[in-house]
Amino acid sequence: MLLPRFDYLEPQNLEAALDLLATHRDEAKILAGGTDLLVRMKKGLLKPKALISLKSLKGLSYIEDDNDRIRIGAGTCLAHIISSEIIREKARALFEACEKVGAVTIQHHRGTIGGNILQDNRCHHYNQSDFYRSGRQACHKDGGKICYARENADRCNSTCQSDGATALMALGAKLVLISKENERVVNLDQFYTADGIMPHAMESHELLKEIIIPLQNAQSSYQRLAYRSAIDYPIVCAGILLKPAKTEKDKIEDARIVVGAMGRAPLFLAQESSLLVGKSLDDTEAFQKAAKKSMDNAATFAVHNVGSTLEYRCEMVAEIVLRALKEAAQAAKD
Amino acid sequence: MKKIEITLKINGKPHGVRIYPNETLLEVLREKLDMTGAKESCGEGVCGSCTVQMDGKPVRSCLTLAMEAQGAEIKTVEGLASEDELSNLQQSFVDHGAVQCGFCTPGMLMSADALLAENPKPDEKTIRKALAGNICRCTGYTKIVEAVAHATHPQEHCCDCNPKE
Repeated sequence: MLLPRFDYLEPQNLEAALDLLATHRDEAKILAGGTDLLVRMKKGLLKPKALISLKSLKGLSYIEDDNDRIRIGAGTCLAHIISSEIIREKARALFEACEKVGAVTIQHHRGTIGGNILQDNRCHHYNQSDFYRSGRQACHKDGGKICYARENADRCNSTCQSDGATALMALGAKLVLISKENERVVNLDQFYTADGIMPHAMESHELLKEIIIPLQNAQSSYQRLAYRSAIDYPIVCAGILLKPAKTEKDKIEDARIVVGAMGRAPLFLAQESSLLVGKSLDDTEAFQKAAKKSMDNAATFAVHNVGSTLEYRCEMVAEIVLRALKEAAQAAKD
Repeated sequence: MKKIEITLKINGKPHGVRIYPNETLLEVLREKLDMTGAKESCGEGVCGSCTVQMDGKPVRSCLTLAMEAQGAEIKTVEGLASEDELSNLQQSFVDHGAVQCGFCTPGMLMSADALLAENPKPDEKTIRKALAGNICRCTGYTKIVEAVAHATHPQEHCCDCNPKE
Protein backbone atom coordinates (compact mmCIF):
# COMPACT_ATOMS: atom_id res chain seq x y z
CA MET A 1 0.00 0.00 0.00
CA LEU A 2 1.35 3.40 -0.95
CA LEU A 3 1.23 6.51 1.16
CA PRO A 4 -0.32 9.64 -0.29
CA ARG A 5 1.98 12.56 -1.14
CA PHE A 6 3.03 14.95 1.62
CA ASP A 7 5.87 17.27 2.57
CA TYR A 8 8.14 15.95 5.28
CA LEU A 9 9.19 18.57 7.83
CA GLU A 10 11.77 17.85 10.47
CA PRO A 11 12.00 20.64 13.07
CA GLN A 12 15.20 20.55 15.11
CA ASN A 13 13.70 21.90 18.34
CA LEU A 14 10.38 22.42 20.10
CA GLU A 15 10.05 26.10 19.08
CA ALA A 16 10.54 25.25 15.43
CA ALA A 17 7.94 22.48 15.71
CA LEU A 18 5.41 24.87 17.30
CA ASP A 19 6.13 27.46 14.61
CA LEU A 20 5.44 24.90 11.91
CA LEU A 21 2.24 23.81 13.65
CA ALA A 22 1.07 27.42 13.93
CA THR A 23 1.72 27.96 10.21
CA HIS A 24 0.23 24.75 8.86
CA ARG A 25 -2.57 24.16 11.39
CA ASP A 26 -5.10 21.67 9.97
CA GLU A 27 -2.96 20.92 6.95
CA ALA A 28 -0.21 19.23 8.95
CA LYS A 29 -0.13 16.18 11.18
CA ILE A 30 2.39 15.30 13.83
CA LEU A 31 4.42 12.17 13.13
CA ALA A 32 5.82 10.48 16.24
CA GLY A 33 5.91 6.68 16.00
CA GLY A 34 3.64 6.53 12.97
CA THR A 35 2.07 3.20 13.95
CA ASP A 36 -1.42 4.73 13.91
CA LEU A 37 -1.03 7.75 11.61
CA LEU A 38 0.66 5.99 8.69
CA VAL A 39 -1.96 3.21 8.68
CA ARG A 40 -4.72 5.82 8.41
CA MET A 41 -2.85 7.58 5.62
CA LYS A 42 -2.35 4.34 3.73
CA LYS A 43 -6.08 3.69 3.90
CA GLY A 44 -6.83 7.16 2.59
CA LEU A 45 -8.56 8.25 5.82
CA LEU A 46 -6.14 11.15 6.22
CA LYS A 47 -4.40 13.18 3.56
CA PRO A 48 -2.31 15.82 5.35
CA LYS A 49 -0.29 18.20 3.17
CA ALA A 50 2.65 17.97 5.53
CA LEU A 51 3.96 15.69 8.27
CA ILE A 52 5.90 17.27 11.10
CA SER A 53 8.31 14.67 12.38
CA LEU A 54 9.27 14.65 16.05
CA LYS A 55 12.34 12.52 15.29
CA SER A 56 14.83 15.21 16.33
CA LEU A 57 12.93 16.25 19.46
CA LYS A 58 14.66 13.85 21.82
CA GLY A 59 13.74 16.10 24.76
CA LEU A 60 10.16 14.82 24.62
CA SER A 61 11.19 11.38 25.84
CA TYR A 62 11.54 11.10 29.62
CA ILE A 63 9.98 9.64 32.77
CA GLU A 64 10.52 11.74 35.90
CA ASP A 65 9.41 10.96 39.44
CA ASP A 66 8.74 14.20 41.42
CA ASN A 67 7.54 12.35 44.57
CA ASP A 68 3.98 13.67 44.38
CA ARG A 69 3.62 13.08 40.65
CA ILE A 70 5.15 11.33 37.68
CA ARG A 71 5.83 13.30 34.51
CA ILE A 72 6.08 11.43 31.22
CA GLY A 73 7.22 13.08 28.00
CA ALA A 74 4.68 12.56 25.23
CA GLY A 75 7.36 11.18 22.92
CA THR A 76 8.37 8.41 25.32
CA CYS A 77 8.12 5.09 23.50
CA LEU A 78 5.99 2.32 24.98
CA ALA A 79 9.00 0.02 25.42
CA HIS A 80 10.59 2.65 27.65
CA ILE A 81 7.43 2.92 29.79
CA ILE A 82 7.18 -0.83 30.24
CA SER A 83 10.79 -1.15 31.31
CA SER A 84 10.51 1.75 33.78
CA GLU A 85 10.57 0.73 37.46
CA ILE A 86 8.80 3.99 38.40
CA ILE A 87 5.79 3.21 36.23
CA ARG A 88 5.70 -0.43 37.22
CA GLU A 89 5.64 0.36 40.91
CA LYS A 90 3.68 3.59 41.10
CA ALA A 91 1.35 3.55 38.10
CA ARG A 92 0.64 -0.12 37.62
CA ALA A 93 -2.40 0.43 35.40
CA LEU A 94 -0.33 2.30 32.82
CA PHE A 95 2.30 -0.43 32.82
CA GLU A 96 -0.35 -3.11 32.29
CA ALA A 97 -2.07 -1.10 29.55
CA CYS A 98 1.10 -0.31 27.61
CA GLU A 99 2.19 -3.90 27.85
CA LYS A 100 -0.90 -4.94 25.92
CA VAL A 101 -0.73 -2.40 23.08
CA GLY A 102 -0.14 -3.83 19.62
CA ALA A 103 2.60 -6.35 19.04
CA VAL A 104 4.48 -6.23 22.29
CA THR A 105 8.06 -6.44 21.19
CA ILE A 106 7.78 -4.72 17.85
CA GLN A 107 5.48 -1.72 17.78
CA HIS A 108 6.64 -0.70 21.23
CA HIS A 109 9.96 0.62 19.98
CA ARG A 110 8.24 3.07 17.60
CA GLY A 111 4.86 3.73 19.22
CA THR A 112 4.75 6.55 21.79
CA ILE A 113 2.48 7.16 24.79
CA GLY A 114 1.38 10.51 23.33
CA GLY A 115 0.38 8.82 20.11
CA ASN A 116 -1.48 6.15 22.03
CA ILE A 117 -3.63 8.71 23.85
CA LEU A 118 -4.18 10.83 20.75
CA GLN A 119 -5.07 7.98 18.42
CA ASP A 120 -8.25 8.68 16.55
CA ASN A 121 -11.45 6.79 17.30
CA ARG A 122 -12.08 3.60 15.38
CA CYS A 123 -15.03 1.86 13.82
CA HIS A 124 -14.94 -1.23 11.65
CA HIS A 125 -17.17 0.47 9.11
CA TYR A 126 -14.75 3.38 8.79
CA ASN A 127 -11.24 1.96 9.29
CA GLN A 128 -11.26 0.25 5.93
CA SER A 129 -9.48 0.65 2.62
CA ASP A 130 -10.43 3.28 0.02
CA PHE A 131 -11.78 0.49 -2.16
CA TYR A 132 -14.07 -0.90 0.57
CA ARG A 133 -15.41 2.54 1.43
CA SER A 134 -15.89 3.49 -2.23
CA GLY A 135 -18.62 0.86 -2.54
CA ARG A 136 -21.02 2.65 -0.18
CA GLN A 137 -22.09 6.11 0.89
CA ALA A 138 -19.73 7.99 3.16
CA CYS A 139 -20.42 7.75 6.89
CA HIS A 140 -20.38 10.67 9.35
CA LYS A 141 -16.67 10.32 10.08
CA ASP A 142 -15.93 10.15 6.36
CA GLY A 143 -17.80 13.39 5.69
CA GLY A 144 -21.21 11.88 4.92
CA LYS A 145 -24.51 11.65 6.80
CA ILE A 146 -24.94 7.96 7.51
CA CYS A 147 -23.92 5.77 10.44
CA TYR A 148 -23.51 2.09 9.64
CA ALA A 149 -22.98 1.16 13.28
CA ARG A 150 -26.32 2.44 14.59
CA GLU A 151 -29.38 2.89 12.44
CA ASN A 152 -30.64 6.46 11.97
CA ALA A 153 -27.86 7.86 14.16
CA ASP A 154 -27.41 11.57 13.61
CA ARG A 155 -23.77 11.52 14.68
CA CYS A 156 -20.62 9.45 14.51
CA ASN A 157 -20.46 6.55 16.97
CA SER A 158 -16.81 5.60 16.55
CA THR A 159 -15.13 4.05 19.59
CA CYS A 160 -12.04 5.14 21.50
CA GLN A 161 -9.93 2.00 21.77
CA SER A 162 -6.85 3.47 23.40
CA ASP A 163 -5.43 1.29 26.17
CA GLY A 164 -3.22 4.09 27.48
CA ALA A 165 -6.04 6.64 27.75
CA THR A 166 -8.25 4.30 29.81
CA ALA A 167 -5.46 3.52 32.24
CA LEU A 168 -4.36 7.15 32.51
CA MET A 169 -7.91 8.35 33.10
CA ALA A 170 -8.20 5.88 35.98
CA LEU A 171 -4.95 7.30 37.35
CA GLY A 172 -6.40 10.82 37.14
CA ALA A 173 -3.77 12.00 34.68
CA LYS A 174 -3.43 15.49 33.25
CA LEU A 175 -2.13 16.51 29.85
CA VAL A 176 0.15 19.46 29.15
CA LEU A 177 -0.65 20.96 25.75
CA ILE A 178 1.59 23.62 24.31
CA SER A 179 1.24 25.92 21.36
CA LYS A 180 3.23 28.87 20.10
CA GLU A 181 1.22 31.27 22.26
CA ASN A 182 0.54 29.40 25.46
CA GLU A 183 0.66 26.26 27.52
CA ARG A 184 -2.33 24.70 29.24
CA VAL A 185 -3.00 21.74 31.49
CA VAL A 186 -6.14 19.66 30.87
CA ASN A 187 -7.56 16.87 32.97
CA LEU A 188 -7.83 13.74 30.86
CA ASP A 189 -11.47 13.47 32.08
CA GLN A 190 -12.23 16.71 30.26
CA PHE A 191 -10.06 16.10 27.23
CA TYR A 192 -12.72 14.20 25.33
CA THR A 193 -15.50 15.87 23.38
CA ALA A 194 -17.89 12.92 23.03
CA ASP A 195 -17.81 13.64 19.31
CA GLY A 196 -16.75 10.65 17.22
CA ILE A 197 -15.39 12.81 14.41
CA MET A 198 -13.18 15.09 16.51
CA PRO A 199 -12.75 13.09 19.72
CA HIS A 200 -10.16 15.32 21.42
CA ALA A 201 -10.49 18.88 22.71
CA MET A 202 -7.20 19.87 21.16
CA GLU A 203 -6.52 22.67 18.71
CA SER A 204 -4.70 21.85 15.48
CA HIS A 205 -1.77 24.08 16.44
CA GLU A 206 -1.28 22.41 19.82
CA LEU A 207 1.21 19.73 20.69
CA LEU A 208 0.96 17.24 23.54
CA LYS A 209 4.10 17.78 25.55
CA GLU A 210 3.72 15.93 28.79
CA ILE A 211 1.49 13.62 30.78
CA ILE A 212 1.28 14.18 34.53
CA ILE A 213 0.16 11.36 36.81
CA PRO A 214 -0.59 12.54 40.38
CA LEU A 215 0.56 10.05 42.99
CA GLN A 216 -1.86 9.51 45.85
CA ASN A 217 -0.82 6.32 47.64
CA ALA A 218 -3.37 4.38 45.66
CA GLN A 219 -3.26 1.11 43.76
CA SER A 220 -4.31 0.83 40.15
CA SER A 221 -4.94 -1.95 37.70
CA TYR A 222 -5.94 -2.44 34.10
CA GLN A 223 -7.69 -5.35 32.43
CA ARG A 224 -8.79 -5.82 28.88
CA LEU A 225 -10.55 -8.18 26.54
CA ALA A 226 -9.33 -8.59 22.95
CA TYR A 227 -9.47 -11.31 20.31
CA ARG A 228 -5.78 -12.07 20.54
CA SER A 229 -3.34 -11.24 23.31
CA ALA A 230 -1.16 -9.30 20.85
CA ILE A 231 -1.79 -7.04 17.85
CA ASP A 232 -5.51 -6.47 18.46
CA TYR A 233 -7.25 -3.46 19.92
CA PRO A 234 -9.34 -4.02 23.06
CA ILE A 235 -13.07 -4.66 22.63
CA VAL A 236 -13.65 -3.97 26.34
CA CYS A 237 -11.17 -2.62 28.85
CA ALA A 238 -11.22 -1.21 32.37
CA GLY A 239 -8.88 0.88 34.45
CA ILE A 240 -9.30 1.00 38.22
CA LEU A 241 -7.83 3.13 40.98
CA LEU A 242 -8.41 2.21 44.63
CA LYS A 243 -7.15 4.43 47.43
CA PRO A 244 -7.17 2.85 50.88
CA ALA A 245 -7.90 5.11 53.85
CA LYS A 246 -4.89 6.33 55.85
CA THR A 247 -6.14 5.14 59.21
CA GLU A 248 -8.12 2.04 58.35
CA LYS A 249 -5.99 0.40 55.71
CA ASP A 250 -8.66 -2.05 54.53
CA LYS A 251 -11.26 0.65 53.86
CA ILE A 252 -11.57 2.31 50.46
CA GLU A 253 -11.33 6.07 50.69
CA ASP A 254 -11.55 6.85 47.00
CA ALA A 255 -12.14 4.83 43.86
CA ARG A 256 -12.16 5.43 40.13
CA ILE A 257 -13.71 3.06 37.62
CA VAL A 258 -13.00 3.82 33.96
CA VAL A 259 -14.38 1.66 31.17
CA GLY A 260 -12.73 1.89 27.75
CA ALA A 261 -13.51 0.71 24.21
CA MET A 262 -17.25 1.07 24.87
CA GLY A 263 -17.93 4.67 23.88
CA ARG A 264 -16.63 7.67 22.00
CA ALA A 265 -14.25 8.29 24.92
CA PRO A 266 -13.08 6.28 27.92
CA LEU A 267 -15.97 6.43 30.39
CA PHE A 268 -15.24 7.58 33.94
CA LEU A 269 -18.14 6.16 35.93
CA ALA A 270 -18.38 8.53 38.91
CA GLN A 271 -21.58 7.10 40.35
CA GLU A 272 -20.38 3.51 40.25
CA SER A 273 -17.01 4.55 41.70
CA SER A 274 -18.72 6.24 44.65
CA LEU A 275 -20.47 2.96 45.51
CA LEU A 276 -17.11 1.64 46.63
CA VAL A 277 -16.19 4.51 48.95
CA GLY A 278 -16.16 3.37 52.58
CA LYS A 279 -16.34 -0.29 51.61
CA SER A 280 -13.78 -2.88 52.67
CA LEU A 281 -11.08 -4.10 50.26
CA ASP A 282 -12.44 -7.63 50.84
CA ASP A 283 -16.03 -6.73 50.06
CA THR A 284 -16.51 -8.84 46.93
CA GLU A 285 -20.24 -8.19 46.99
CA ALA A 286 -19.69 -4.43 46.66
CA PHE A 287 -17.25 -5.07 43.81
CA GLN A 288 -19.80 -7.22 42.03
CA LYS A 289 -22.49 -4.61 42.49
CA ALA A 290 -20.23 -1.82 41.16
CA ALA A 291 -19.18 -4.00 38.22
CA LYS A 292 -22.81 -4.80 37.38
CA LYS A 293 -23.76 -1.10 37.54
CA SER A 294 -20.75 -0.23 35.39
CA MET A 295 -21.97 -2.70 32.81
CA ASP A 296 -25.47 -1.17 32.78
CA ASN A 297 -24.04 2.32 32.43
CA ALA A 298 -21.37 1.55 29.82
CA ALA A 299 -23.79 -0.53 27.74
CA THR A 300 -25.86 2.55 26.92
CA PHE A 301 -22.88 4.11 25.10
CA ALA A 302 -21.73 1.12 23.07
CA VAL A 303 -22.59 0.36 19.47
CA HIS A 304 -21.73 -2.67 17.39
CA ASN A 305 -18.62 -1.35 15.64
CA VAL A 306 -15.39 -2.90 16.93
CA GLY A 307 -15.92 -6.59 16.30
CA SER A 308 -17.58 -9.23 18.44
CA THR A 309 -21.28 -8.94 19.25
CA LEU A 310 -22.56 -6.01 21.23
CA GLU A 311 -24.29 -8.28 23.76
CA TYR A 312 -21.07 -10.12 24.50
CA ARG A 313 -19.06 -6.93 24.90
CA CYS A 314 -21.66 -5.44 27.24
CA GLU A 315 -21.79 -8.55 29.41
CA MET A 316 -18.02 -8.70 29.58
CA VAL A 317 -17.82 -5.16 31.00
CA ALA A 318 -18.97 -6.50 34.37
CA GLU A 319 -16.40 -9.29 34.28
CA ILE A 320 -13.50 -7.11 33.17
CA VAL A 321 -14.31 -4.41 35.76
CA LEU A 322 -14.59 -7.06 38.47
CA ARG A 323 -11.23 -8.60 37.52
CA ALA A 324 -9.56 -5.20 37.60
CA LEU A 325 -11.19 -4.34 40.95
CA LYS A 326 -10.01 -7.59 42.51
CA GLU A 327 -6.52 -7.06 41.17
CA ALA A 328 -6.30 -3.51 42.52
CA ALA A 329 -7.75 -4.59 45.88
CA GLN A 330 -5.21 -7.38 46.13
CA ALA A 331 -2.39 -4.95 45.37
CA ALA A 332 -3.72 -2.55 48.02
CA LYS A 333 -3.74 -5.32 50.62
CA ASP A 334 -0.17 -6.51 49.85
CA MET B 1 6.88 16.88 -3.16
CA LYS B 2 10.52 16.74 -4.13
CA LYS B 3 12.98 13.90 -4.23
CA ILE B 4 15.50 14.00 -1.41
CA GLU B 5 18.94 12.47 -1.21
CA ILE B 6 19.39 10.41 1.96
CA THR B 7 21.88 7.92 3.29
CA LEU B 8 20.77 4.76 5.02
CA LYS B 9 23.19 2.57 6.92
CA ILE B 10 22.09 -0.96 6.18
CA ASN B 11 23.91 -4.03 7.48
CA GLY B 12 26.96 -1.90 8.24
CA LYS B 13 27.22 -0.27 4.79
CA PRO B 14 26.01 3.21 3.87
CA HIS B 15 23.66 3.40 0.87
CA GLY B 16 22.82 6.71 -0.80
CA VAL B 17 19.34 6.85 -2.33
CA ARG B 18 17.10 9.51 -3.84
CA ILE B 19 13.59 9.10 -2.52
CA TYR B 20 10.23 10.82 -2.14
CA PRO B 21 9.33 11.56 1.50
CA ASN B 22 6.29 9.30 1.30
CA GLU B 23 8.35 6.18 0.64
CA THR B 24 8.52 3.70 3.48
CA LEU B 25 11.69 1.98 4.54
CA LEU B 26 10.26 -1.26 3.13
CA GLU B 27 9.71 0.27 -0.32
CA VAL B 28 13.21 1.72 -0.39
CA LEU B 29 14.78 -1.58 0.71
CA ARG B 30 12.88 -3.67 -1.80
CA GLU B 31 12.57 -1.36 -4.79
CA LYS B 32 15.58 0.94 -4.62
CA LEU B 33 18.19 -1.27 -2.99
CA ASP B 34 17.08 -4.70 -4.23
CA MET B 35 17.02 -6.12 -0.71
CA THR B 36 13.92 -8.21 -1.11
CA GLY B 37 14.35 -10.16 2.13
CA ALA B 38 11.81 -8.07 4.05
CA LYS B 39 8.35 -8.81 2.63
CA GLU B 40 5.22 -6.74 2.30
CA SER B 41 2.10 -8.60 3.31
CA CYS B 42 -0.57 -6.58 5.13
CA GLY B 43 1.18 -3.22 4.75
CA GLU B 44 -0.43 -1.92 7.94
CA GLY B 45 1.69 -3.24 10.77
CA VAL B 46 -0.25 -6.35 11.68
CA CYS B 47 1.54 -9.34 10.15
CA GLY B 48 5.22 -8.69 10.87
CA SER B 49 6.62 -9.99 7.57
CA CYS B 50 8.34 -6.62 6.95
CA THR B 51 10.17 -6.62 10.31
CA VAL B 52 13.73 -5.24 10.24
CA GLN B 53 15.93 -4.00 13.06
CA MET B 54 16.74 -0.37 13.73
CA ASP B 55 19.50 0.08 16.30
CA GLY B 56 18.97 -3.52 17.36
CA LYS B 57 15.24 -3.15 17.95
CA PRO B 58 12.68 -4.85 15.70
CA VAL B 59 10.40 -2.40 13.85
CA ARG B 60 7.80 -2.62 11.09
CA SER B 61 9.50 -1.29 7.99
CA CYS B 62 6.11 -0.83 6.28
CA LEU B 63 5.18 1.73 8.95
CA THR B 64 8.55 3.45 9.12
CA LEU B 65 9.29 6.24 6.68
CA ALA B 66 12.69 5.91 5.06
CA MET B 67 13.27 9.53 6.13
CA GLU B 68 12.83 8.48 9.76
CA ALA B 69 15.37 5.67 9.40
CA GLN B 70 18.24 8.04 8.63
CA GLY B 71 21.01 7.82 11.18
CA ALA B 72 19.91 4.44 12.52
CA GLU B 73 21.79 1.19 12.13
CA ILE B 74 19.43 -0.86 10.02
CA LYS B 75 19.77 -4.61 9.93
CA THR B 76 17.82 -6.72 7.46
CA VAL B 77 17.66 -10.48 7.03
CA GLU B 78 20.42 -10.15 4.40
CA GLY B 79 22.76 -9.08 7.20
CA LEU B 80 22.31 -12.21 9.31
CA ALA B 81 24.49 -14.63 7.36
CA SER B 82 28.22 -14.04 7.00
CA GLU B 83 29.67 -14.67 3.52
CA ASP B 84 28.47 -18.18 2.64
CA GLU B 85 27.59 -19.34 6.10
CA LEU B 86 24.16 -19.08 7.67
CA SER B 87 23.87 -17.68 11.20
CA ASN B 88 23.09 -20.12 14.02
CA LEU B 89 19.51 -18.90 14.07
CA GLN B 90 19.04 -19.35 10.32
CA GLN B 91 20.67 -22.79 10.41
CA SER B 92 18.41 -23.73 13.30
CA PHE B 93 15.34 -22.70 11.26
CA VAL B 94 16.52 -24.96 8.43
CA ASP B 95 17.35 -27.88 10.73
CA HIS B 96 14.09 -27.73 12.63
CA GLY B 97 11.90 -27.41 9.54
CA ALA B 98 10.70 -24.00 10.75
CA VAL B 99 10.38 -22.73 7.17
CA GLN B 100 7.27 -23.78 5.29
CA CYS B 101 6.24 -21.32 2.58
CA GLY B 102 8.91 -19.00 3.95
CA PHE B 103 7.06 -15.71 3.55
CA CYS B 104 7.03 -14.90 7.27
CA THR B 105 10.54 -16.24 7.85
CA PRO B 106 12.57 -13.02 7.33
CA GLY B 107 10.32 -11.21 9.83
CA MET B 108 10.46 -14.12 12.28
CA LEU B 109 14.25 -14.19 12.01
CA MET B 110 14.62 -10.49 12.67
CA SER B 111 12.30 -10.56 15.70
CA ALA B 112 14.00 -13.69 17.04
CA ASP B 113 17.48 -12.27 16.38
CA ALA B 114 16.66 -9.15 18.43
CA LEU B 115 15.31 -11.36 21.23
CA LEU B 116 18.41 -13.56 21.29
CA ALA B 117 20.69 -10.53 21.36
CA GLU B 118 18.92 -9.39 24.52
CA ASN B 119 18.28 -12.77 26.09
CA PRO B 120 20.48 -15.61 24.75
CA LYS B 121 18.54 -18.32 26.57
CA PRO B 122 14.84 -17.42 26.43
CA ASP B 123 12.14 -19.79 27.66
CA GLU B 124 9.18 -20.78 25.52
CA LYS B 125 6.87 -18.12 26.93
CA THR B 126 9.39 -15.35 26.23
CA ILE B 127 9.87 -16.59 22.68
CA ARG B 128 6.13 -16.77 22.03
CA LYS B 129 5.71 -13.26 23.39
CA ALA B 130 8.58 -11.91 21.30
CA LEU B 131 7.13 -13.48 18.16
CA ALA B 132 3.52 -12.52 18.94
CA GLY B 133 3.68 -9.77 16.32
CA ASN B 134 4.75 -12.13 13.56
CA ILE B 135 2.02 -14.13 11.91
CA CYS B 136 2.69 -17.44 10.11
CA ARG B 137 -0.27 -18.51 8.02
CA CYS B 138 1.21 -21.98 7.49
CA THR B 139 0.79 -21.99 11.30
CA GLY B 140 4.10 -23.77 11.88
CA TYR B 141 4.64 -22.02 15.19
CA THR B 142 5.79 -25.08 17.14
CA LYS B 143 8.78 -25.61 14.88
CA ILE B 144 9.57 -21.90 14.80
CA VAL B 145 9.59 -21.66 18.60
CA GLU B 146 11.76 -24.78 18.81
CA ALA B 147 14.18 -23.38 16.26
CA VAL B 148 14.59 -20.16 18.25
CA ALA B 149 14.92 -21.99 21.57
CA HIS B 150 17.59 -24.33 20.22
CA ALA B 151 19.45 -21.75 18.08
CA THR B 152 22.02 -20.82 20.69
CA HIS B 153 21.66 -23.94 22.85
CA PRO B 154 21.32 -27.12 20.77
CA GLN B 155 19.55 -29.82 22.76
CA GLU B 156 20.88 -33.37 22.94
CA HIS B 157 17.41 -34.91 22.96
CA CYS B 158 16.32 -32.97 19.87
CA CYS B 159 16.79 -34.98 16.68
CA ASP B 160 16.60 -31.77 14.63
CA CYS B 161 19.59 -30.31 16.48
CA ASN B 162 21.61 -33.46 15.73
CA PRO B 163 20.55 -34.32 12.18
CA LYS B 164 23.48 -36.66 11.48
CA GLU B 165 22.88 -39.01 14.35
